[in-house]
Amino acid sequence: MKKGYDIVIIGGGIIGCSIAFELSKRGVKDILLVEKRFLTAGATGRCGAGIRQQWGAELNASIALESTHILEHLEEYTGYDKSIELHQGGYLLVAYTEKEWNQFQKNLEVQHKLGIESYGLTPQECLEKAPYLNLDGVYGGTFCQKDGHANPFHSTQAYAKGAMRQGVDIETFCEVTGFRTQGGAICGVETTKGYVETKMVINCANTYAPELAAMVGDEIPVYSERHQALVTEPVAPLIDCMVMSFSRSYYVQQTPHGSFVMGIGPKEEPSHNFHSSWQFLEQNCAIMCEALPILRKLNVIRQWAGQYDMSPDRHPVIDEAETCKNFYSVCGFSGHGFMVAPRIAILMANFLTGQKDSIDIHKFSKTRFKTGDILIEPSVV
Amino acid sequence: MRIEQHPILQFDRGEKVTFLFNGQPVEGYTSETIAAALHAAGIRELSHSPNLDRPRGLFCAIGNCSSCVMTVDGEPNVRICITKVRPGMIVQEQHGKGVVTP
Repeated sequence: MKKGYDIVIIGGGIIGCSIAFELSKRGVKDILLVEKRFLTAGATGRCGAGIRQQWGAELNASIALESTHILEHLEEYTGYDKSIELHQGGYLLVAYTEKEWNQFQKNLEVQHKLGIESYGLTPQECLEKAPYLNLDGVYGGTFCQKDGHANPFHSTQAYAKGAMRQGVDIETFCEVTGFRTQGGAICGVETTKGYVETKMVINCANTYAPELAAMVGDEIPVYSERHQALVTEPVAPLIDCMVMSFSRSYYVQQTPHGSFVMGIGPKEEPSHNFHSSWQFLEQNCAIMCEALPILRKLNVIRQWAGQYDMSPDRHPVIDEAETCKNFYSVCGFSGHGFMVAPRIAILMANFLTGQKDSIDIHKFSKTRFKTGDILIEPSVV
Repeated sequence: MRIEQHPILQFDRGEKVTFLFNGQPVEGYTSETIAAALHAAGIRELSHSPNLDRPRGLFCAIGNCSSCVMTVDGEPNVRICITKVRPGMIVQEQHGKGVVTP
């Protein structure tokens, strides 16, 4: 770690690492990435790691689509010598009510406009995609083969190693404790490993991003929500696709390793709670065994908790602090940061280096919550 | 090999019964585990590593480590170190991931 850098990125998850990679790829050499613990210690390492293009909002769908294209050859793109274990087994979104089914039809229109290869299914066709699915109450479903999942640890490492090769310094176990400003602009970062001069800060600290932004007087309407997941023992392949429902609020997927990773949407107060609970184990298993009765036969190995950085409209917040120039925050991914990170990083890097981009970054400005120009996303767990 | 005499412990082995291991009859006692019966019969290779298929033996013997998982009466991934012998049960070695059937 040097005494000063042009840019300091805070957060060693997929967002921070991908932005570091894209910036250094564009010739920005003097970058430091600081991480409080180790890379993927936060939300990235705890996420379900699904990749989904079947979104209801055009902006989310287009970002997810372009991110998938990058993830399909991320190893080559970043020069990573291992596999990110991408598996495109598809996502089956199950509709349990007519209302949900009608929403899915609207979503399909949005997706088809962007060229996403998703389509509707009858209950019987759902059963073909996901054998052993309990069809009680199933109204229909939609499917996209290009959806799937990747290994979040390998994906982050791919970006981090690529960034380091391009000259980025990464400092782990280095917590940011404060900022120094001069004339309304950022001029330095206080860390547990000392003071670092800088001309710019990119705050990618996920649920801690609002707290860091508050240190320079900026207010971000993003809050933290605990989500839990569990993993079962590995068994021979049973279901190739992710099965997901919004109305019953569950997702489940068999990983290439053979274990099932699953979770349910909680109804909880905002908190930084990282503890797992028996209530989750009980509720999750009840919901999952109802939806996929064959899962009753599996033993649960482990469960854990992580945080979603929820924004009011389930779209990311990417903005410069009003009170401090050159202090950017990239957060509020609302549980789908992993799958959109590749495209968000390109958007951010293009913006900071003054290059053109097909997506207008100002759509993600937090002023949308004041003007009421919010981006609605109907399809989240 | 079994400990027949112990200075302070007494063994209640239950009834002597026969079950099938990989199609071959093996004798065991209903108050003992499958692992104990197989050990007494000289069978030390219990499970196999998932990728290289290397043999694994008894390791924790208390149901924690999954080093002894086998398919018992069609149910995969059964920890035989904590599962008692039942007469006529069908125990099979597992190679690769266990197969779950509805």
